[in-house]
Amino acid sequence: MKFQDQIRFVRQNMKKNKTRLFMTVLATAMGCTFLIVLASVGFGLQQSMVDNIVGDRLVTAVDLYGKNPDQHKDTNIYDEDIQMFRELADVKAVTYRNNIYQWLNPKVEGEEVGSDKTTQVDFEAETKAGFDLSAGRMPEADNEIVIGYHIREQMDEQGMPTGYEDASEWLNKTMTLEVTYYAAGKKLTEPMEAVIVGVTEIPTKEWNRDKTIYMGVGMLEKIEGITGTRNGELPYFEVENPTAEKIDAALANLPKPSEQRSYQDVQVVASHAEKVKGLVETLRDKGFYTHSIVDELKQVNLMFAIMKIGLIFVGTIAVLIASIGIFNTMTMAVTERAQDIGIMKAIGAHPSVIRKLFLLESAMIGLMGAIFGTVVAYGVSLAVNAGLPVVIKQFMEEEVPADFLFSVIPPYLTALACGISLGVAMLSGYRPALRATRIDVLSALRRDV
Amino acid sequence: MIELAGVSHQFRIGKRGKERVVPVLHDINLKVEKGEIVAVVGRSGSGKSTLLNLMSGYIRPSSGEIRVGGQNVTKLDEGEWANFRLANYGFIFQSFQLIGSMTAYENVELPLVLKGIGSGERRAKVMKLLEQVGIAEFANHYPSELSGGQQQRVSVARSLILEPPIVLADEPSGSLDSENEKTLLTMIRQLNHELGITFVIITHDEQVASIAHRAIRLQDGRIGGLA
Repeated sequence: MKFQDQIRFVRQNMKKNKTRLFMTVLATAMGCTFLIVLASVGFGLQQSMVDNIVGDRLVTAVDLYGKNPDQHKDTNIYDEDIQMFRELADVKAVTYRNNIYQWLNPKVEGEEVGSDKTTQVDFEAETKAGFDLSAGRMPEADNEIVIGYHIREQMDEQGMPTGYEDASEWLNKTMTLEVTYYAAGKKLTEPMEAVIVGVTEIPTKEWNRDKTIYMGVGMLEKIEGITGTRNGELPYFEVENPTAEKIDAALANLPKPSEQRSYQDVQVVASHAEKVKGLVETLRDKGFYTHSIVDELKQVNLMFAIMKIGLIFVGTIAVLIASIGIFNTMTMAVTERAQDIGIMKAIGAHPSVIRKLFLLESAMIGLMGAIFGTVVAYGVSLAVNAGLPVVIKQFMEEEVPADFLFSVIPPYLTALACGISLGVAMLSGYRPALRATRIDVLSALRRDV
Repeated sequence: MIELAGVSHQFRIGKRGKERVVPVLHDINLKVEKGEIVAVVGRSGSGKSTLLNLMSGYIRPSSGEIRVGGQNVTKLDEGEWANFRLANYGFIFQSFQLIGSMTAYENVELPLVLKGIGSGERRAKVMKLLEQVGIAEFANHYPSELSGGQQQRVSVARSLILEPPIVLADEPSGSLDSENEKTLLTMIRQLNHELGITFVIITHDEQVASIAHRAIRLQDGRIGGLA
């Protein structure tokens, strides 16, 4: 019997009792919805808590400390490595910090800035990685910079820090910088100007003080153009006034901007916390020294996996309860159609064909339930994510973070739920199907069954 | 074509452990030749239907051997019997045994569907046969919308759709009036004559037996005489 004929046959039979079919599909759909929604809470909490509350970069970032000398001759990280990291699966962003190797004497409106370092970053990658600002915006032009939250440190008469003024007051103000360089045997300075457009968020670790000046690659290249050295590095002299020959000799030993750039403080940020482990393994296999907070928090993935398995298990119980309905429906269908089955067997229907027809019928009930259940589950998930923050705000007076999701349904959860519904439906239909194959032809023809 | 050698059959009646054995057929030796119409006649309870059920594979003989087309079918399992029936037998029943939720067309089509024949080929075959038995205009009618004679024609069409070499008929005219009975018997003769189909007909009706080449009389489970 061809499969399309089996489908036609089953559809014909299912139409015989539409109310019973509807109720059975409804029960299966409810079970499937319950399974998906319940598990989606696990997925939602994982995504929202790990990625947002625990601090996504804290958990998802993998620090890279160069290459393993056993596998690589040169242990520095270069452009091609950065490019390779960006092409890896499950990578959200690749960031780095290139510190400027000289004091730029920054001032705002004549006031000295208590910055501890100036560093060049890739603002686009930083934005993707979750570089947050407490005020202002990210730079868009080459001469725009971001300053650290604690940059306006106040000192007492003894030079001890007493507090911090609001750095956001400096937004849109011009910061002057002095680039020191050597030319024709003389130490000279070149002024530069930058516009402050953003202030970083207060660091998560409260003992950290962010007094950094963040600039883009445009400004770094300008500094390097002035000094003629990589990262604006200056040579060190033991004497106060070195000779021109010594200056030239020292400058010749410093790396030039035209040489291949090596990157410091490289971080590869994973798309999700659960992807970090795999990413770390990939990077280690490629011969990089890595460190991730997940190294210390290996139990995180396990904990969420156990939680999700538990929720799926509880949800499966709902599907199993629905399967009682399928079993009942199929048993009644076999009883009602006993004579038809007898006639089919009498004229030459193979028992396996009879079994297949009933298994297919229960599978179709399971499939219809799974489809309806999935659609409803997506609706419930959307409603929960939209409605629950409003309810919490109304009755508990708590503000839920804007991107917090209570329920997330990844595609594989849908596939899993549909698979479980289908499997359970077929299992419930198996016994009635077996009973159908055992119907005695003569009893059925005599209408004795 | 069909050969029964020393076939006996007994039913076990009652609860397990307190069963009573009721012998129905005793040492039946019978040969049906290809192209023959054989009528099995006898009074009610003589074992006619049991004999047909043994030939159909619905029950197994307690002893003896059944051969069909040279093949020993005595020990076939349920699945093998199903395939064998589909390939070799057509069935006509007294109460027609049509599936009530299927139209006349679908009932006739059923053996073709079970055999896995494509829908295009099926349609042509079914319509041709329905025309031959004279009920093409009722193709989309359900059995409940047809008379007894029309239902039996559908049953005959279903039995012939796979062009089987053998048709087993159990009281085929039992539910028909005399006019429809006459039409059915004419049809059987014609099919036998034109297509060489072997018929084994169980009947207690002498008129039905009269169209047979041979009539075998069963009496108390034994072949009692040849007519």
